[in-house]
Amino acid sequence: MQLAFRQRPQPMTLMTSNPDTAGDLATPAIQAKGIEMAFQVGDQQFKVLKGIDLEIKTGDVELLMGPSGSGKTTLLSILGGILTPTSGQVSLLGQSITGLPRHKLSKFRLQNIGFIFQGFNLFPALTAAENIEATLNLKGIRGRAAKKQSIKLLRQVGLADKTRSLPRDLSGGQKQRVAIARALAGNPKLILADEPTAALDSQRGHTIMELLRKLAKEEGCTVLMVTHDPRIMDIADRVVYVEDGLITPKPANPSFVHKPE
Amino acid sequence: MVSIARKNLFQDLPRFIVAQAGIMFSVGLVTIQIGILNGFTRSSTVLIENADADIWVTSEELRHLALTLPLEYEQLAEAKEVEGVDRAEPLIAQSTVWRDKSNQIAPIRIIGFDPEDTLFRPRTLLEGTLKDIQQPYKIFVDQADLKLLDVSAVGDRAEIGSYEGEIKGITTGTRSIVASPYIFTSLPNATAYLNSPIAKPDETPPDPPDLTDQNRITYILVKAKSGENLSALKDRLEEALPGTKAFTQAELTELTQTYWQQSTGVGYILGLGAVVGIVVGTVVVGQILYSSVTDHLREFGTMKAMGSSDWYIYRVILEQALWMAVLGYLPGMGLCLGLGAWTIQAQAIQILISPVTAAGVFVVTVAMCSGAAIFAIQKVTRLDPALVFKS
Repeated sequence: MQLAFRQRPQPMTLMTSNPDTAGDLATPAIQAKGIEMAFQVGDQQFKVLKGIDLEIKTGDVELLMGPSGSGKTTLLSILGGILTPTSGQVSLLGQSITGLPRHKLSKFRLQNIGFIFQGFNLFPALTAAENIEATLNLKGIRGRAAKKQSIKLLRQVGLADKTRSLPRDLSGGQKQRVAIARALAGNPKLILADEPTAALDSQRGHTIMELLRKLAKEEGCTVLMVTHDPRIMDIADRVVYVEDGLITPKPANPSFVHKPE
Repeated sequence: MVSIARKNLFQDLPRFIVAQAGIMFSVGLVTIQIGILNGFTRSSTVLIENADADIWVTSEELRHLALTLPLEYEQLAEAKEVEGVDRAEPLIAQSTVWRDKSNQIAPIRIIGFDPEDTLFRPRTLLEGTLKDIQQPYKIFVDQADLKLLDVSAVGDRAEIGSYEGEIKGITTGTRSIVASPYIFTSLPNATAYLNSPIAKPDETPPDPPDLTDQNRITYILVKAKSGENLSALKDRLEEALPGTKAFTQAELTELTQTYWQQSTGVGYILGLGAVVGIVVGTVVVGQILYSSVTDHLREFGTMKAMGSSDWYIYRVILEQALWMAVLGYLPGMGLCLGLGAWTIQAQAIQILISPVTAAGVFVVTVAMCSGAAIFAIQKVTRLDPALVFKS
């Protein structure tokens, strides 16, 4: 089943400034076929995903919405190569990741995917710049190049004056900007975000997601994010609804969509 | 490169200090135990260190430096005749009793040598000259033994055997932890003390006569002629002096030290103390690293989710362990060196921390901390990166 509701009347025009990092537009960034995921709890088996087919175009910013427990986060984990589905096939950026050994999957994630997490997941002992530098170090960018790039990324998210601040000294919005900068570090082709605005008030959440959209489009990234936040629906090229482990048409009165304050 | 390990370590300063205290304690325990063992074994051969002989000849029944049977003085002349011998000199080392001014007795070891000879002499004389002990019944005592022997300075007197002795000089660095206090004197004086009657004589004893062929000595110290093969010379000496055995200085040192380390429980007990130190250190470091990793599990999960290899995370944990090792070792070793200096001053007991010991303890500390990191590494290995998507 592959159903989706486009939030925007017209697809966004890609403003790819970096042709090296921009994906091949003809190849979908994400292709999932027949994804099923079951968890064993004691004697019982819980089927969280019941056969998901999904295709996300390169350069799109898409939202994954649905009620709690619908399987959104599980799907995001599978699409990010963190969880292995019980059955089904996943291709990212034209490469099948199903059945890849763990170390190759890790390497693929490192080279191609940037992650943004609900709780920011910044290293509390590292400054804003160091959080980004550490990610660049992981990707093999070290020394001055890493420092320079981390400062550039912080400037892009409007935190040029916070390079030496520790996460505890930053507001929620500032932390999420650092998290976005970190996700963009090393020019990934794909950004996966899990409830990136959950810890922010709606206005700040919207502003930050606008920023993410802008930067992602500039860098030619494909963005897929799980969210409950209806205020950011307008930044998406498409919204995909998941309910009870399946992709569904847009519900008439989606109860899982948090009303704006 | 950003050192996540170092930053994580210093983030929680109180916990870091507790961890370092644990490592310091461990380093201290291991170093002190090894230092005492080293000092103890070295002190067992302190007499050998005061000699400049190539070969020591003694009874073939020798067990260790302080446990052997006497030789006859006439064997000295025979030793001098052996081909390849440059010099041969006698040394007496026998036990007797010291009676202090309050009439308390204590075991001592009389060391008799000829002050005009060259192969044996106390290395450092704080007071007096070697000629002083050529006078009848004059002795040297080590500074560290003064209190034990209830004397305080040059001029003090006590009974040795049943004859009186007067302190004419003070030595230093000749105290042995394993043996009774050494009392240095001339060969005639030593012989007189060792052969003194059981009861104190009413009259002043006569001046000790020179040694005769029938007198007993303990060792013949031999200096070989230049370029002489010591192994061959030993064989010739043993052949010329039936019932004797010849040892190079190094052989006698090793034999004596091995005896004290292995034939007594000392090596075992001190070794056990060192092992306890290592175990305590491993547990402390392991616990601290484990809780540190637990506290940072979400960050490590994030690293894994982002695509970090397990090895990269292991390196972070191992680096953390190495920082703990270095930062615990340095003050711990400093403390031990200070304690060692104080102990030799205050108690005259040597805690011997050689560069080899210090390097060895460093290796042990690094191994201990790295070993302790295994617990933390196991936790990270089992870590599911999917946890980062759980709020």
